[in-house]
Amino acid sequence: MLRWFEQSGRNSDVVISSRVRLARNLKKYNFSLKLGVRESRMMTDEVMSRLETITEFAEYSRYDFRDLDEEQKEAMKERHLISEYLLGQEIAAGFASHDENISIMINEEDHIRIQSYVAGMDAKKAYELASEVDDHIGTVFEYAYHDKYGYLTTCPSNVGTGMRVSYMLHLPALTGNDKISGIASEVGRFGLVLKAVYTDTKGKCMGDIYQLSNLVTLGKSEQDLIENINKIAEQIISQERAVRKEFIKKRYMTALDSVSRSYGILKYARKLTLADGMLLLSQLRMGLEEGLIHEASDYETSVYQLMIGIQPANLQMMNDKEMSQEEIDISRSQFIRDNLPMIQ
Amino acid sequence: MLCENCNKREATIHYTEVVGKVRSERHLCGQCAAQLNLTGDNEKIEQNFPFVKLLTGLLASESLQNDSNDYFAGQVSCPRCHMSFREFTRTGKFGCAECYDVFGPLIDENIKKLHGDNVHCGKVYFKKKDLCPEMDTSVELQIEELLTQQREAVLLENYELAAQCRDRIRALREKSSQN
Repeated sequence: MLRWFEQSGRNSDVVISSRVRLARNLKKYNFSLKLGVRESRMMTDEVMSRLETITEFAEYSRYDFRDLDEEQKEAMKERHLISEYLLGQEIAAGFASHDENISIMINEEDHIRIQSYVAGMDAKKAYELASEVDDHIGTVFEYAYHDKYGYLTTCPSNVGTGMRVSYMLHLPALTGNDKISGIASEVGRFGLVLKAVYTDTKGKCMGDIYQLSNLVTLGKSEQDLIENINKIAEQIISQERAVRKEFIKKRYMTALDSVSRSYGILKYARKLTLADGMLLLSQLRMGLEEGLIHEASDYETSVYQLMIGIQPANLQMMNDKEMSQEEIDISRSQFIRDNLPMIQ
Repeated sequence: MLCENCNKREATIHYTEVVGKVRSERHLCGQCAAQLNLTGDNEKIEQNFPFVKLLTGLLASESLQNDSNDYFAGQVSCPRCHMSFREFTRTGKFGCAECYDVFGPLIDENIKKLHGDNVHCGKVYFKKKDLCPEMDTSVELQIEELLTQQREAVLLENYELAAQCRDRIRALREKSSQN
């Protein structure tokens, strides 16, 4: 069963994935801010044991932070299976479907966070998946729900639908053209936010990958929120495509040269920092998507899967040991050599 | 006023940042605000800027401006989780489901400012009582809860909510008498 980051979908040249997160709280427990350690444990255990009885989740794998070390948790975050917030929690547990497309996080900022991923641009599908899980949970627990405010959340910024829908976008051309900050301020007018997914220590974006999500959660239906983000995403996609095409048309050899050089470094480097790896893979992804270079076999390599693979915790987990920075950089180049597609 | 970040464009976003007991006014242009957000600013909680900061900012500046209200609001606290209004304005987070009824009327306008609306119109949650034993509360208990909610609403002068409670109590009573 392929995971979302191993597949491609609609508008995959720009949109890597669609994600929906639903925030839910149980009526009978206080919210995270007023939930003590003992109650957090109680709530987590109760949700785990109750959800285990739901037949639809029988095939899901379970985890509890008590049984995981820091590296394993960090690697789960790198695969987007758990959130940054959950990673910071002492007490947490959850379920995940085998393809890791669905994840149920327990004791997040809200008691339950349901997350679904779909490859490419299909927020509607992602919402359907998450909503189905939500329906199952809603039958065994009473949610904190208000006739006026809808689903109640710890932060008023999530109240209402409790839904955060986002697209992960690969925008190398708009980044190169310095268009991102302009777009970021534009999307704000539509109740959306655009931010970098990977940043270095100085806050600079790595890998040209951004996340577009809704900020508004109240007063609009889930369908309207999806429609709104779709409209804006379509515009960003067409801008990205236009800049890519224009650049390739005007400076074909420069474009081909930079993609080919990136491939060369990825293939022959013996040490790679994360920032370099992300930059080079971003170039490779664009080169493959735009047909500047072609894979030798029919198999379609997911470059984003390589991007997840070269994250530090994943490399350490694969090597099954704690590593120094230099060892990680060496292991990163090895990982890329082992998984880099052959090109014609 | 010019944006304090770039000193070039007009500042269009104004908010009060409260860190611990330190309160500072921030004035940014849309572009810089978006850019600050874009970097993630190494914040643990994602996507909260500018929402939570705006909300806490709005609440803080309002309570500063309005001393009499501040006194009244300062006395309000949630009977269930004991969150005080002051604590709420500082953290921008609710402590439990009841907080929404307690503080809801006080921040309704601000919620509207943030979301552009203050009434949910998305997916509706139907409690499936037959499937969930813990929800099997008797009609009397539900009526009792609604009566308490109604009394609190009247105290907070939220007559709209009080009327809603009254209607639901009436409906429940009619239903139980039919049975």
